[in-house]
Amino acid sequence: MSPDVIAGLTAVFQWDVLLFLFAGVVMGAIFGATPGLTATMGVAVLTPLTFWVSAEKGMAMLLGVYCGAIPAGGIPAVLINIPGTPASIATSWEGYPLSRKGRAGLALGVNALMSFWGQLASIFFLAVAAFPIASFGLRFGPAEYFGLALFGLSLMAGVSGQNVLKGLLAGMLGLFLASIGLDPMTAYPRFTFGRPEFLDGIAFVPVMIGLFGMGEVFEQISARHGKPGELPAALGRIWPKLQEWKQMAVAGTLGVLTGTIVGAIPAAGGDIASVISWEQARRISKHKEEFGHGSLEGLAATCTSCNAVIGGAMTTMLTLGIPGDAVTAILIGALLIHGIQPGPLLFRDHRPLVYAIIFLLVLASVMIAAIGLIGARPLARVLRIPNPWLWSGIVLMSVVGSYALNNAIADVWVMFAAGILGFFCRKANIPMGPLILGLILGPMMESNLRRALILSRGDLFSVLSRPIVFFFLAMTAFSLFWPLWKSRRKA
Amino acid sequence: MNRTDLATALLFALLGILIWVEAVRFPAGVAGLPGPGLFPETIGAIMFALAALLAVRSTRSGASPMAIENRKSLAIAVTLVAVYLLLWGHIGFAPRTAVFLVCLLRLLGEGWKSSVAVAVVLTAVVIVAFQMGLNVTLQ
Repeated sequence: MSPDVIAGLTAVFQWDVLLFLFAGVVMGAIFGATPGLTATMGVAVLTPLTFWVSAEKGMAMLLGVYCGAIPAGGIPAVLINIPGTPASIATSWEGYPLSRKGRAGLALGVNALMSFWGQLASIFFLAVAAFPIASFGLRFGPAEYFGLALFGLSLMAGVSGQNVLKGLLAGMLGLFLASIGLDPMTAYPRFTFGRPEFLDGIAFVPVMIGLFGMGEVFEQISARHGKPGELPAALGRIWPKLQEWKQMAVAGTLGVLTGTIVGAIPAAGGDIASVISWEQARRISKHKEEFGHGSLEGLAATCTSCNAVIGGAMTTMLTLGIPGDAVTAILIGALLIHGIQPGPLLFRDHRPLVYAIIFLLVLASVMIAAIGLIGARPLARVLRIPNPWLWSGIVLMSVVGSYALNNAIADVWVMFAAGILGFFCRKANIPMGPLILGLILGPMMESNLRRALILSRGDLFSVLSRPIVFFFLAMTAFSLFWPLWKSRRKA
Repeated sequence: MNRTDLATALLFALLGILIWVEAVRFPAGVAGLPGPGLFPETIGAIMFALAALLAVRSTRSGASPMAIENRKSLAIAVTLVAVYLLLWGHIGFAPRTAVFLVCLLRLLGEGWKSSVAVAVVLTAVVIVAFQMGLNVTLQ
């Protein structure tokens, strides 16, 4: 076994790291099982806590939250038809009807087991694909990184759904926010207006906490969701029978493929994956009429795919430094707090950490599967926690967490402003995925283009005509114009 | 006409103009290399162009008003948070936070007893976790 693998295993199997992982999984499960709280919110709000511990412990907790929240989101989706996280939207389409037929236990069991399968299979993909992708990425120079960042940004159009124009505007806003601070090449202060707090730019983590934490609380206060419905009196059988396993096999495999691929696409998350997977499973099913009425195939497809996103998103994030979804965007921030830059160099300079992350993901998926099978009913009791208590706690954690990063009240004001921005984005149907892409990829794109131009002595053509850059430019054009062409065809 | 989209477009158009106006004042690049202003100028220009397209589209689409429910509660909540932040460093963390949480919980419909109890517990948990556990000085 390679020394790096052994180092990774050694780093993970320490009692304190496992304790952080377990705590993360439990907190993730609570966040996931509570409608209104999301995996993204949980990771964002808890990221500041990782500042004072080692990278392994910090990642253990945050990965625990990530892996715990998504399967747990299926619990309220099954029991009361309210998804705990956006990724569980499609789970409620099949899980709740099953629950109404007196098969809530089976639905929860399928949710736990297929979530485990989805996570494990996609983590295997991460383990197998990440190293070759990273090796290829080590050949990248500034020009290639510019091309990659440009391609990543162009995916704003694809993940904006029906709102392509608004998505692109949100992306531009993200790019602008990322340009605030000292210019990376000349150290000229841009858009600081004489405020020293902005010389280092807008802190990324408070923006994420504001967008996904505070912004969601404002949304909840405005929407004032009613009390949750009644839980079923008895759950019944949890474990599927052999015949039911056979029924779910194809849909489950399809879910893994869909989820992993969608997860690898920047800013596309579990909600997109689960809906696509459900639709594909319905198309190939011999029992289409059951879909929407408690189909085990449909449930298997959605539970698997929304969890398989994890491995795909982590692959993109770790190998290329581009967020696969909103959670991995925050994980980038968490790694940067420890001075670790995700991307190909991570595999060269911090290889044991990469192995540690893979092992942590596997352990987290085992933990949440066990919790999902044994503790589904107790976990459902979090639905009884009054919403005002939860929202107040989230507000306080958002404020204190943002302050604690740099002991700077300016960061808290940034978080607050981002919270208001996040609320209005939700109301005006402005997708936030592109904003995050712009915020993260903007500096990568600008600084690498300018470095590449320095190396080529100002010759833009020689930069853009490099083979890999040209490939990324072609993919950029495709991803920008394909959604537009598709919508014109439909019209 | 979609007024929400039109308002969004106007806001972004204004922001695009402001970004561009500020960015053109940055120093120019040298020897054919882009200076600090090129990217922000490009962002401002693209933002303005996209906003213009959105404005045109909004005049052709149906009405879709921005539905903000419980506006009063929302406005009070936002104000409470702002006041809490403005008082940061002027009043001690524990009393300031406890009072803020009581006000927030009462706004959200909780009774006095439960509001006070939850506020005290949350404040205590945060102080233990951050101040004692992580050595963060909470002002």
